[in-house]
Amino acid sequence: MRVRSLDDLKAIAQRALEKLCGRRIRIAVGLATCGIATGAEEVYSAFLKGIESLKRDILLTKVGCIGYCREEPIVNVVIPGKALLLLSRVRPEDASEILKNLIDGDVPREKIVCRVKEWDHLLEKIHYGDGFTDVSLYEDTPFFKHQRKIVLRNAGIINPEDIEEYIAVGGYRSLYKALTEMTPEMVIEEVKRSGLRGRGGAGFPTGLKWEITAKSESDERYIICNADEGDPGAYMNRNEMESDPHSLIEGMIIGGYAIGAKEGIIYVRAEYPLAISRLQIAIEQSRRYGLLGENIFGTDFSFDIRIVKGAGAFVCGEETAMIASIEGETGRPRPRPPFPAEKGLWGKPTNINNVETWCNIPVIVYKGGEWFSKIGTKNNTGTKVFSLVGEVQRVGLVEVPLGTSLKRIVYDIGNGCPDGLKVKAVQIGGPSGGCIPEGLLDIPVDYESLKEVGSIMGSGGMVVMSERTSMVETAAFFVSFTSEESCGKCAPCREGLKQMLNILNKILMGKGSPSDLELLKELSETIKTTSLCGLGQTAPNPVLTTIKYFKEEYEELIKRYD
Amino acid sequence: MDEGKAKIIDEIISKYASRTGRVLSVLEELQEKEGYLSKESLKYISTRLNVPLSDLYSVATFYSFFNLKRAGKNIITICMGTACYVKGAPKLLEELEKLLKVKEGETTPDGSFTIRSARCFGACSMAPVIRVNDRTYGFMSPERLPAFLKLYGWKQG
Amino acid sequence: MISLRIDGRLIKAEEGERVLQIAIREGIDIPHLCYHEAFEEPYGSCRLCIVELKEGGSSRITTSCTLMAREGMEIKTDTPEVIKHRKLLLELYLAQAPLSNNIKKLAERYGIKGTRFHKTLNLEDPLGGKCILCGLCIRACREIIKASAIGYIGRGEATRINTPFLEENPDCIGCGSCANICPTEAISFEDRDKRRIMRSWSNTQVNLKICKLCGHPFTPEPLWLKVKEKSTYTPSEEIEEVCPNCRIKIVSKRLVKPYSL
Repeated sequence: MRVRSLDDLKAIAQRALEKLCGRRIRIAVGLATCGIATGAEEVYSAFLKGIESLKRDILLTKVGCIGYCREEPIVNVVIPGKALLLLSRVRPEDASEILKNLIDGDVPREKIVCRVKEWDHLLEKIHYGDGFTDVSLYEDTPFFKHQRKIVLRNAGIINPEDIEEYIAVGGYRSLYKALTEMTPEMVIEEVKRSGLRGRGGAGFPTGLKWEITAKSESDERYIICNADEGDPGAYMNRNEMESDPHSLIEGMIIGGYAIGAKEGIIYVRAEYPLAISRLQIAIEQSRRYGLLGENIFGTDFSFDIRIVKGAGAFVCGEETAMIASIEGETGRPRPRPPFPAEKGLWGKPTNINNVETWCNIPVIVYKGGEWFSKIGTKNNTGTKVFSLVGEVQRVGLVEVPLGTSLKRIVYDIGNGCPDGLKVKAVQIGGPSGGCIPEGLLDIPVDYESLKEVGSIMGSGGMVVMSERTSMVETAAFFVSFTSEESCGKCAPCREGLKQMLNILNKILMGKGSPSDLELLKELSETIKTTSLCGLGQTAPNPVLTTIKYFKEEYEELIKRYD
Repeated sequence: MDEGKAKIIDEIISKYASRTGRVLSVLEELQEKEGYLSKESLKYISTRLNVPLSDLYSVATFYSFFNLKRAGKNIITICMGTACYVKGAPKLLEELEKLLKVKEGETTPDGSFTIRSARCFGACSMAPVIRVNDRTYGFMSPERLPAFLKLYGWKQG
Repeated sequence: MISLRIDGRLIKAEEGERVLQIAIREGIDIPHLCYHEAFEEPYGSCRLCIVELKEGGSSRITTSCTLMAREGMEIKTDTPEVIKHRKLLLELYLAQAPLSNNIKKLAERYGIKGTRFHKTLNLEDPLGGKCILCGLCIRACREIIKASAIGYIGRGEATRINTPFLEENPDCIGCGSCANICPTEAISFEDRDKRRIMRSWSNTQVNLKICKLCGHPFTPEPLWLKVKEKSTYTPSEEIEEVCPNCRIKIVSKRLVKPYSL
């Protein structure tokens, strides 16, 4: 059906709410890539079989990922009128037992992580109910306690392949508001007021970026979603797309309206087949419901989205390289100026934002920039999703207000290293970031503080390293990555990183000399200062931070040679 | 270029009317169908899309997703992302190379396995991760590999 | 018109003009390898043309080929910081292209005799040891000659330049613009019998046009055809398929005749 009015949206919401918390038992299996890799599909089949043989009217559905990856496969169940329960490490052989219990209005206790009485989707709240009072509340669970979900407001709760469930939790209401109550300038003003900064890592103010593109003289403009999440150790965007693709789509349509673009492109990496397929489904559904295409909500605004798959090149995360790639060329960055906001895709003004940036937009438009600006700290508003991985006990995706300390994330949420090991460093920002030593973990996570210690915010990869990790090896790992992923266009990045890796390997083999350490520093400075694009300009960060904070490890290796 | 192949390519090209993203999409879809990009295919695409062959060859060798050589029946890709690296992916690769007796990027002589490495699958929470064809497997270890390979028809020896 | 300062000199320029172009025009020496006046747009790959830009109280290092002139800019081409980075870049080039005399000469100008970096010589690559991958040959072939016979292959440190599949490429018209524009003299070809052999480009062979008078080959045939096709000038049949030497003879005979009368 075509949605034309707010009443249409409300009617759909009413209908779909019945699926989320209606009169039937709902079993939702977490089927994002991480769940599937631990056997969630088999769990889903086992439930399906069980339900069929029981001949009961139970709703079995799929959801994305709630972020507690260590506990996968995760299943959430709702018994009408009672709290939603999060079950962990569910095996196919558990299905029949769980089903039997559910029918009796119960759930096996040992599987329960926590209960949710009410879920705040921000545009809508869902009251599940009480019951299971002996089980700890979601908001008292250590892993979730310090989190605040804006971007991941729907992840793991709604079915990402069902636009109606998205509408049930307030979806597309922001778009309606923007198109019918706001001018494009007002939308940009709201985004500016929110203080939102680009979540791809550089932290440029989003509203300002939109304004520059909107004001560029042209008959045509483009917007692009950067979903080429390339930092190893980072998978926030994958989960955002797999769990809640409509948030991204709605954010982009609003952006298209504000900027004056008729076409949006999602450039997504080929390594994410599930995200691509869910996006495709979501785009088709939005078109069918008239939320993408001609005359959205009966207004004269038309907009559509196209998916372009990347083909495995990290450098394509750089804006001009991404544009070249979409135009069918190799992803070699182009000199700036001109900036994409003036001359981007096919020479037209183009605005590029990261997945997470777009996902914030519907909330900002609906709740207002003012509301958003009160979360986080003064110049770092809102939340940021991090993938907390590596040698940490509670591995997962965490969303915290900006300004939260690293300590809180690594220890309170992540519970430190496993096996009684001590945390040695946290690597943030992927290959462009730095290794922050344990001693500095009380710094707040914000764009400026991270820069001060030699790292960058990056897209949100957070890899915890224990005392048994060699920092020189870690530096070499990142340099081998960037050297291989360098596009090869400019000499400092191509030749410099190759030589840097040579020197690091020499040191690792025990053949380094003290002058090598000096040469590494010198080389780092030149690569940083003279490289053409962000890849080269940040690639020495892992080397510089490990020399700065873990110099003794380098010296130890060098001493052995003397 | 035989007619059947030309028809396949024509069909793929017809799906991408807009120039936005066309070159990558056509090459990607063809590779998905054929397993690799042959010289003949690239030459044919070059004339059909009116893109110089040198440009297409540049693109095909720039992006790590494209192969110019026929790949094996099963493509085993080891994730080399940070989390996997920290949790022992290099050892996994070493063991896999030992078991299959081919190096990364190569295909076993019988054409049943190709070993590749990837930057990151974004499944870091279950590191180390490997992918066989389209399926992702978490918490892999060198010890688990032989039994695992047998699922895909590998015979020890 | 706007005014800016380069090394203290006040210079007038058009707004948006690239600083390297202004410097060249004004006779200010900034080393560069990937810039060539034949192209409108800068490429920005060699990074040697870095300068220090002072504007609005802050200063930064940037490439002058990409920098657009603005009112009040202050540019210094040889601060210690600039020289330091330029010297290190030259050391990297010395390691990448140890066989290039031009690179050696440029390095010597900065007092660099050797490199601290590991020298790499890929003997399989016909350009190995000389090519610095600046991209001028590819751009000349594509943008000026419009033949697109060569391109970058691969990426990162494994990047090289050649024909697709490292095979003879019929798209090459043998014009030699690539060799002509190469700043490190890495590209070579030879004329043998009635053919031009592009040694650097997988030995691509191109037929040479034979002079109908003297019978000597004088230019690559595809180039001759391309010029004929593009040119608005139609030469008389008498000189059309004639080599430059014989052409001079014909023309001078024509010129000489009236005087001898």
